[in-house]
Amino acid sequence: MEPDLQQNCRASSTGLLASLEPLRGQTILVTGGTGFMGKWMAEAVVFLNLQHNFGITLYLLSRNTEAFRNTVPHLARQPFIRLLEADVRNVRDLPENISYVIHAAATPDRREHATQPLRVIETILKGTISVLDASLRLPLLNKFLYISSNNVYGQTHNNTNGIAENSIGYLDSNSINAAYPEAKRLAETICAVYRNQQKLPVVTVRPFAFTGPYQDLEKPWALNNFMRDAILGGPIRILGNEHTVRSYLYGSDMAFWLLAILSSPKPANTYNLGSPEGISMTHLAEKIAASFHHKIDIVIKSAKDDNTHYSVVIPDLSTLTRDIPVKKAISLDEAIAATLQWYQHHSTIA
Amino acid sequence: MKQILISDPTLRDGNHAVAHQLSAEQIAIYAAAANKARVPIVEVGHGNGLGASSLQVGESLVDDITMLTTAKKYLTFSKLGIHVIPGFATIQRDLKKAIELGVDVIRVAAHCTEADITQRHLGFAREKGKEAFGVLMMSHMAAPGLLVEEAQKMVQYGAEAIIIMDSAGALLPPDVTDRIEALVQDLPVPVGFHAHNNLGMATANSVAALQAGAKILDGTARGFGAGAGNAQLEVLVAVLEKMGYSTGIDLYGMLDAADIAEKNIMPSVPVIKSESIVSGLAGVFSGFSKHVARISKEYNVDQRDVYFALGKRKVVAGQEDIIIEVILDIVKNKQP
Repeated sequence: MEPDLQQNCRASSTGLLASLEPLRGQTILVTGGTGFMGKWMAEAVVFLNLQHNFGITLYLLSRNTEAFRNTVPHLARQPFIRLLEADVRNVRDLPENISYVIHAAATPDRREHATQPLRVIETILKGTISVLDASLRLPLLNKFLYISSNNVYGQTHNNTNGIAENSIGYLDSNSINAAYPEAKRLAETICAVYRNQQKLPVVTVRPFAFTGPYQDLEKPWALNNFMRDAILGGPIRILGNEHTVRSYLYGSDMAFWLLAILSSPKPANTYNLGSPEGISMTHLAEKIAASFHHKIDIVIKSAKDDNTHYSVVIPDLSTLTRDIPVKKAISLDEAIAATLQWYQHHSTIA
Repeated sequence: MKQILISDPTLRDGNHAVAHQLSAEQIAIYAAAANKARVPIVEVGHGNGLGASSLQVGESLVDDITMLTTAKKYLTFSKLGIHVIPGFATIQRDLKKAIELGVDVIRVAAHCTEADITQRHLGFAREKGKEAFGVLMMSHMAAPGLLVEEAQKMVQYGAEAIIIMDSAGALLPPDVTDRIEALVQDLPVPVGFHAHNNLGMATANSVAALQAGAKILDGTARGFGAGAGNAQLEVLVAVLEKMGYSTGIDLYGMLDAADIAEKNIMPSVPVIKSESIVSGLAGVFSGFSKHVARISKEYNVDQRDVYFALGKRKVVAGQEDIIIEVILDIVKNKQP
């Protein structure tokens, strides 16, 4: 059975609807709008409009709107979802009625970061400046949400309580992995300059890891790879240190938390966005293996014999929860089950 | 006991030694012997890997499909591995078919500074649930820091292990130690080493790699491989046993497999010929040896001069067509 994403939205919106009232009748733009985040924002807006008459208009800006029409026709055909086809680096004029901007354009795919680092940097920096400039000309703008990345934290000291927004760690600018986080850091600074000098209402969000329908199985993240390995019959292969800890927030929770940040009256802040519940790679692999009826082996492939030093990358949500009453509605078990169900209907390998 | 994963490219690197003329029968004989010896991975194919049979680098006697189908039939224990160089091997024409034929381990290789070209092939192998290793060839041509960066790209693309090849047999044990230590330090996934024996260092280099943290080693029966050959697998297995490592390979079975290989698939057991020593010193890809020997003879030039000239031009695998260019230059310069 295919997971009911609108039902997920109902669960994730519980307790937040009142705080979303400022969005009623508003127009929201999401750049990079046809990716995982954009699709879940569209699901959330469909839920709010059809179930609660919010009357939101959602613009999704992307270089390839055709792919969106083909992959999610049930979203694309909604009259209040409008697609804008443009390269984010060249955005000039935006529809004047846009009152909220979520600037999410930039691929988090680290394969792209390694192969096309200059293009990644250019898209992030030029794209951010062009969307900021275009936003300056929006007469009704209430908030500009910049979607940064948890990668800006670099290597932090392991803290099982999570990484706080002010605990920036070491980032090796000479590493081949530096293009994305360094560009994201600079883009945050550019946003801060527009906030300070142009009084643009900027809020920065640093997302951690997400899961759920609309995430491609081929994406190079542990959870996706584990699920793919399991769907193919296993073994699930843990690459690197099996004690590594990450956390995963389900797509509908992510979308409603973003909407809650968007509608919050709190200005000029930086928030982590992600699940605070960490899980080791071993336990994650075991959880996924247990979702199948047949036995699936787990194999660990690591360069080192001593794996006592491992990274913990989970968000400290104190700042976010102090300002906004967000609460995780979909557990990791539910998220894994829903995602695996979705892959059965939407993935060619399942 | 520490486990070491052995990958055996006798039926792939060895194909270089016979100008890619291994027959299906020979493949069947050695595959059965290696399988009996419980060799974990048996690599099969044209010397330059999947899809490489061509006029440029040499046409193989039997096609990829026949080679893989034949080997697969006899590999009931061992995994079937292939060497894949993007460019020679395309995803649609070659890789897809190889996966359908039951290949288990896909080793996607690139020159040591060109890891970028492996993204799609590594991705495809992982998407199909196959074990995907990244291989950096001619690793003597890059400093440890650069090798680490190229290897990191392969890991981002999905490689589950990184193997560096001393394709020219040019490295000495301290060079191997530097490279493997750097990789083990900075990579999350296991690191491996593939030796060539031009300077007589294949086993010593493999041991150096092991001591520096490598967890995967390549070796071939009697060292059957390009140029002066590879690390001699039956020797390597014995040395590893003596050092207290476990390979899972049955030593007697491996000794028998090597005897069978010598009798059935090798016109001659690899020795370090004079030109191989020069090739190692010049840092030229061992797979060039047959071409250099043939064309040098044809134009009556000293092979040793050709190797040093090729070394100066920093040629890499796939640039076999430069051999004739270099030889013509030598001929031209010899003319009064």
